[in-house]
Amino acid sequence: MNWKILGVGALVVVPLLMILASGFGNDPHAIPFLLNGKPAPDFALKNLEQETVSLAALKGKPVVINFWSTWCEPCKTEHETLQRGSVAFGDRVQFLGVIYQDGAGAAQQYLASRSNHYPQLIDPKSLVALDYGVSGVPETYFIDANGRVHHKTAGAVTPGLLIQAVNGMLEGAAQ
Amino acid sequence: MRRQLCMIGASTVLLTLLMVSGAVAQDADPALQDVIVEDTQDPSFRTGKLLRCPVCQGMPIAESPADMAQAMMARVREMHEQGQSQDEILQYFVDRYGEWVLLEPRTEGFNLLVWLLPPIFLLGGIFLVLRYARRSVDGALGQNEDTGAEDAYIKAVREEVDW
Repeated sequence: MNWKILGVGALVVVPLLMILASGFGNDPHAIPFLLNGKPAPDFALKNLEQETVSLAALKGKPVVINFWSTWCEPCKTEHETLQRGSVAFGDRVQFLGVIYQDGAGAAQQYLASRSNHYPQLIDPKSLVALDYGVSGVPETYFIDANGRVHHKTAGAVTPGLLIQAVNGMLEGAAQ
Repeated sequence: MRRQLCMIGASTVLLTLLMVSGAVAQDADPALQDVIVEDTQDPSFRTGKLLRCPVCQGMPIAESPADMAQAMMARVREMHEQGQSQDEILQYFVDRYGEWVLLEPRTEGFNLLVWLLPPIFLLGGIFLVLRYARRSVDGALGQNEDTGAEDAYIKAVREEVDW
């Protein structure tokens, strides 16, 4: 056994392996969620009825903000889940939809054949999406009653996930 | 030992050069150069070249046709018009998308390894190659004398064996 060669090789290879190993468990395509626990970026957007909806005015109540588009298939999958959640939680939680890089006309046509129980907001130039760090749809942000971002989901929201996230916010508000 | 050290050195040099050439090749894509209209005088364009498109793989937002990239460029222009500096604009996107959104890693903390390791490996590999080359030359000079002595020995053995 040539210990010198082994030593030189270990000196080069081990630090490289440690650097590579530091990435294990991380999804290289996942965009970091940096708003966790931070104040939710405020906004004031018009809904499809041209009424202004402001996040600041909703402080004191948990808010679920769902970024979606008509051209997004997972958005269609989660649509009913969010609608039913909005009905189930009633006045305790405010649900908002933000139309992401899509037209108001397309959104109205889409919603005409589906249930819709909460405001759908138009985000011109995707400025609110940028403020939240949205990289694609669907993404759903859970804002607690104190106006802080409690949780974020990328991908279609499932009933279990929705209930768990919203209950987490409601329990936090009760304490 | 010497040959193995030389191979390690040569491999290190080759790998480093391959990595560097790969990074350079991305900027030299002739197909993109026909399409992109660079306006290096535009501070927004310069800032956009430093930000990664969240949708396209490895493209700056200044060159990406994706709607999200165009939205980010619009935000960059808006912030420049508001008088914000390039560093402030970059930090705005880092606060929302993380360091990942920067196409050039910042030269601080763990990122320093990205900048320091390639030249270290390149220089180390060159050093090992040169060291082996020098020893090989010295070894060859000594070996010629040994070859002469060896030949005489082999000759003597052959004379004894041949009958």
